[in-house]
Amino acid sequence: MKTNQSILICGIGGQGVVLSGKIISLSAFYENYDVKTSEVHGMSQRGGSVSTHLRYGEKIFTPLISMHSADIILSFDLYETMRYIGYANKETKIITASEGKYIRRSSSNQISLPTSKSIIDKIKIDFNFKNLFAIDIEKIARELGNVKVANTILIGTSSQFTYLKEQTWLNILKENVPAKTIDINEKAFLLGRKILN
Amino acid sequence: MYFSFLKTFNDKILLTGNEAIAFGSYEGKAAIAVGYPGTPSSEILPFLSKFKGIYVNWSINEKTALEIAIGASIGYKRSLFTTKHVGLNVASDPFMTLANTGVRGGILILSADDPNMHSSQNEQDNRYYAKFAKVPMLEPSDSQECYYFSKIAFDISEFFDTPVLVRTTTRISHSRSILNLNADDMHNPIEIVNNNIDKQLINQKYTKDIEKFVMVPVYARARHKIAIDRLKKLREFSNISGLNKIEYNDLKYGIITSGVSYQYAKEIMPDASFLKLSFSYPLPDILIKEFCSKVKNIVVIEELEPFIENEISAFGIMLKGKEFFPQFGELTPDLVKEGLVKNGFLTELSGKKYTSNQQFNSNSNSNSNSNSNSNNRKNNHSNNQNHDKNENLNITAKTEDFNNFNRQDEIVSIPRRLPALCSGCPHTSVFYALKKLRVPVMGDIGCYTLGALPPLSSMDSCISMGLAFGAAQGLYLSKSSKKKVAAVMGDSTFFHSGITSLIDAKYTNAVFTAIILDNSTTAMTGGQDHPGTGKNLADSAIANKIDIKKIIEGMGITEIYDIDAYDYNSTFNTLKYALNTNTLNVIITNKPCVLYPKKLDFSNKFKINSDRCIGCDLCITIGCPSIIISNKLTDKNKPIPMIDFSCIGCSICKDICVFGFIEQIAE
Repeated sequence: MKTNQSILICGIGGQGVVLSGKIISLSAFYENYDVKTSEVHGMSQRGGSVSTHLRYGEKIFTPLISMHSADIILSFDLYETMRYIGYANKETKIITASEGKYIRRSSSNQISLPTSKSIIDKIKIDFNFKNLFAIDIEKIARELGNVKVANTILIGTSSQFTYLKEQTWLNILKENVPAKTIDINEKAFLLGRKILN
Repeated sequence: MYFSFLKTFNDKILLTGNEAIAFGSYEGKAAIAVGYPGTPSSEILPFLSKFKGIYVNWSINEKTALEIAIGASIGYKRSLFTTKHVGLNVASDPFMTLANTGVRGGILILSADDPNMHSSQNEQDNRYYAKFAKVPMLEPSDSQECYYFSKIAFDISEFFDTPVLVRTTTRISHSRSILNLNADDMHNPIEIVNNNIDKQLINQKYTKDIEKFVMVPVYARARHKIAIDRLKKLREFSNISGLNKIEYNDLKYGIITSGVSYQYAKEIMPDASFLKLSFSYPLPDILIKEFCSKVKNIVVIEELEPFIENEISAFGIMLKGKEFFPQFGELTPDLVKEGLVKNGFLTELSGKKYTSNQQFNSNSNSNSNSNSNSNNRKNNHSNNQNHDKNENLNITAKTEDFNNFNRQDEIVSIPRRLPALCSGCPHTSVFYALKKLRVPVMGDIGCYTLGALPPLSSMDSCISMGLAFGAAQGLYLSKSSKKKVAAVMGDSTFFHSGITSLIDAKYTNAVFTAIILDNSTTAMTGGQDHPGTGKNLADSAIANKIDIKKIIEGMGITEIYDIDAYDYNSTFNTLKYALNTNTLNVIITNKPCVLYPKKLDFSNKFKINSDRCIGCDLCITIGCPSIIISNKLTDKNKPIPMIDFSCIGCSICKDICVFGFIEQIAE
């Protein structure tokens, strides 16, 4: 029998973390799974670090994921991937944007940011988490013609590691994005779903 | 059968706790629903407003909202009042006496607590309000129970003649889970104690009853006695209603818990026996005694205060809880595991797997916990460290926790990400000007509280809603600042509780500059309407717009300045002038929020001239999220900032760059 699956979605406030959680949870719901998610609203949405925990399976009690026990980490920002890496283990599929954003707050306090390569190396080599997939979603989205669908690509990529059917994802996606962007979002999702093949 | 927006599938609906509360209240035949927005309670009323045949509206503040609910109840209608935990403090005056008068139509008071303060100024545990007021309390642990408890709360309220407190937490209100409309355990508990529910109680014609509703001493004394007697009946109900459930399993381990803690514990120790408290005040003494007599070792798992633990100790049963679980912040599955290892219920196996401890006996347990300070954070951390020693990764047990970021830094330094004002936020220029003017700034609660954080760093207090003007008067009286005191407050906060303190300031001849950041919405909680917007949740056609300036003029304050917050130079000059005038004066900004009611995006965008920029970082210090670091450096190797695609074109940064190197992009 299929076991429960835990998905941690993270990013910066305003990137669509909450919406992604809604899309994945509805997909699981329409495939008759028990599902629970936990979101954070309010203060954290103003550019802070945001995470949504999502769990589905036969019977789910806790909406929150334990450390080292996420099956999938879906991250829209590489810095956030590193921040939440404690939820991963060697088996975890880590689907992440290959870059991170950070806003400097003052000139006096120069923050030295780790490079994208150093973060990816740390996770892949030092931690030995082989299932890290860093994808340059902004570049791909720009090629598709709309930088705003970058996150849909990542949702597509993570979808292949779930038990949920492609058609269910597409149906829910269509219902939850602006009508004008349905086509491009569908394209982005399908591209993301095949990108690792 | 149901409304189309509920999207049922096999008679199931996927809802957040807040949405489920709204649906349950509707099914519970609430006729009037009011509240003031506050995370994590804000989504209940907007969702409820989608249903037909119920009056739903935002009120000016929590006290007024509860008073409306009380009036509706006196008028034989069922009413719902929603608030965040600290909002119940505002409404506590009517609440404490309503507990004595009781109700006609049922009253549900929904208090959404915020352990770990995701978006709050404190993490008070509102379960104490139930005990304080002697009113019954229900604590749901998922969306199913949010729906069910909200629905039955009105019957309980009317049957026992008392308001009912339903207490959620952020993890309940903002978690999505499945509501099964055919679940077989959603009985009406009142039917258990009484087969003849008096359905005639609601929808009657108004009548007077001064002994019930006029709380002068002679009647109030009688009502207080009634409230005390009611508590005995409620305790009996707590035992027999079926809302509190015993789940016997392995009789060696017993867990008494409530709310979301039940879900964590149930997943971690499914083989333990459980006493799940849903009707958690007054506690079911008989059930607890029964559980404690059958189960050998028992621990109490609850978030925040040792409420259940202390209540049970009053029955003469000494149980442990807070010795193993923190008294602050949220519980998480990991903290529950850790606590259960500490108290000896669980043994840790390799690879973060746990098993129930077969050697467990209560004596060794109490000896091993001689350290009475196990609740303080330091101690918790050292414990985490021990856990992690066997791991090849030195990772904290709870990465979301701010205090653990330092330890995360040991791996790869990921700087903390503080929340920020939005791109184009009109508050930006006011705070930047206040920073330049170096005056003490008494602050308040809203998005603009972010003006306290770097790089703007120009707000010096945030304690309660409506604090700013009162605190400014006090700071003025203290004579501790040579500079004139400034006070900032949002428009929604001004209506909530700023008006009274500004009147008091005028009345007492206090001297400070009151700044009202009027962005025409309640932004932080998601853009709810208030009296200044001229719209409302129930029916915007019947809403009146209340003019802030006219209110202030009515107080007799004559120096009132309107400023355009997107014009930085005039904002600075007006503030400078007002702060150099030795009178009580008021400044009102007039630019709307960039997110609500609709997302703003102006056609004129800006860019930094990277050929001329000298890397002085002045524009960085306004904290606009659209101004980011580019790869380019100046001749002197200083990083050159750039404006990214998220710029909405507010033009504030153009005024900040005194060199004129920020230019409008030609269309």
